[in-house]
Amino acid sequence: MSAEPSRTLAPSARWVWRAEQALTWGVLVAIAAVASFQLDGALAVLARVLPIAGLLACVAVVPVLRWRNWRWEVHPQAIDIRHGTLTVRRTLIPVVRVQHVETSRDVLERSLGLATVKIHTAAGSHEIPLLRAADAGEVRDRIADLAPAADEP
Amino acid sequence: MSPEPRRLHRAGILVYALATLREAAIPLLAVFLVGGLGGGFDERALLRAVAFTVAGAVFAAAAGYVRWRTTTWWVSEEGIHRRSGLVSIKETDVPLGRIQSLDVEQGPLQRAFAVYSLHVQTGGGGAKGEIVLEALARADVERLRELAGARRSPVAAPGPERRLGRRGLLVAALTAGQLGVLLPVLAAAGQLGQSLFDERRGSEAVGLLPDAASEWALAAAVLLAVAWLLSMLGSVVAFAGFRVRRESDRLRIRRGLLARREATVPVVRVRAVEVVEGVLRRPLGLAALRMEVIGHADEAAPAKTLFPLLAVRDVRAFLDELLPELADDLDRLEPPPRRALRRYLVPPVVLAAVVGAPLWAFAGAGPWPLAVALAAGAGYGVLQFRAAGWRLEDGRLATRAMRVARITVLAPASRRESHSIGQTPLQRRGDLADLEVEFGKQTSARVRHLDAATAAALWERIAT
Repeated sequence: MSAEPSRTLAPSARWVWRAEQALTWGVLVAIAAVASFQLDGALAVLARVLPIAGLLACVAVVPVLRWRNWRWEVHPQAIDIRHGTLTVRRTLIPVVRVQHVETSRDVLERSLGLATVKIHTAAGSHEIPLLRAADAGEVRDRIADLAPAADEP
Repeated sequence: MSPEPRRLHRAGILVYALATLREAAIPLLAVFLVGGLGGGFDERALLRAVAFTVAGAVFAAAAGYVRWRTTTWWVSEEGIHRRSGLVSIKETDVPLGRIQSLDVEQGPLQRAFAVYSLHVQTGGGGAKGEIVLEALARADVERLRELAGARRSPVAAPGPERRLGRRGLLVAALTAGQLGVLLPVLAAAGQLGQSLFDERRGSEAVGLLPDAASEWALAAAVLLAVAWLLSMLGSVVAFAGFRVRRESDRLRIRRGLLARREATVPVVRVRAVEVVEGVLRRPLGLAALRMEVIGHADEAAPAKTLFPLLAVRDVRAFLDELLPELADDLDRLEPPPRRALRRYLVPPVVLAAVVGAPLWAFAGAGPWPLAVALAAGAGYGVLQFRAAGWRLEDGRLATRAMRVARITVLAPASRRESHSIGQTPLQRRGDLADLEVEFGKQTSARVRHLDAATAAALWERIAT
């Protein structure tokens, strides 16, 4: 159990995150650019340059870091998840505690052959996003196979 | 108990009549206002209003009777059944083996007729039972309990019991004063003060200030007193007559002043116990006991109370007696390393600086508010650091943390829902890590800034 989980998300997950980052930062850049006309001098330059720098950094760096840190594994006893861009968090969910598993595919995910798996326990839910569709199916089936064997209130 | 369908107690007619009135209250009110008071206020209008009221009462009574008449329930080999409805018929069946608990509730009306509203809980979630029998005599409730209980434990010998006495209730009510209730009130008051200040600028404002300040203080005091009174009343209503009793594998909890509630909680579903030492209670060495019960997440907070008020030194004895499965000591907790103190200090001190510095720089309030804010922030950080701790012995986990109240979570690690270890970049530099163990929707045992190796070892020990 002490070995770090080894499986990764789909490589194309990075492109999904890049698109997400570009979208949020793009909106920020636009707002800041409009607002910069109300400012003058150094502040106006800052308002135009800073969001663009943020956009470039987050589009280039964040998805790569996040993808590199994302690891998961389904053990017979537990589901092991490690993730985080800067703050890295490792979570272990005992299989007996899994109430149900949800697989979802939005438009973008479908076009890239990806799927997101959400594992529900009585305390909340844990997500493994942007898996290859085959991996997602495997996670779902394995948990379904494991869970009833250890039925407990 | 015969398998023939039976009706509820006759008091059910009234219960249903009242329920009908409540459901129809808004449309009735509209009719009443438009029809009864439409043409001014004279004798005829008054007469009409009376006529409408009588008509409403008759309608409610008739509806209550019909609902009572068409509602039947029975117990068979398979389980408990309820059938209701005149036009569209609804039938619910709960197998005996599926029954998690039979909870009773007694509103003022039910109490007047000495009947009970019985909730058949299957643990499917939701505060209401899957079957609700609105009016049952005590004897029927007892027989149903026996039937449902017979499957698990043949003899439900009444075990140890604890009651909240009158003095306990009074102290619990006095010390319940929840800061959570006050915060929005204070924020609103602050906003009001701010807008008043903005409207009257310059010398006028300065001239008004002492006067206004005293008025604000008065208003704040009044608000505080009202909030305190409300929280006191709330506690009395919720916890009057509180009694908890252990009956083999379940806890039976009774409480409430107006509506008396009785809930049965299977011990296997209790995932964790929280010892909550509120701000007002901690100096007195008092605490409330809460529990995390799986499948009861939607219930209101009082429903999760294991005991409303208890001396902290008695907690261990209380748990040994009533809930030995989760009993543990509150002391001998391992603190985070000394070097973590800085991590606990930085956030509140920075927050204090952010709040205090503008006061000095722009509002011309002098350095004192900033100094006070910084000292308060640092003090809070130290308190948080001193509160934090953990212990894992024989599979029993105890963790403590403080936000406003100091909360100690006691639970066997095997009852967890998940557990995590987390490390921020700053913690990586300081070789520290956070540990979090989830026991339910509301209960998460989290200890911040442990030594990274210790936290990792602890994570491993919990995993196995």
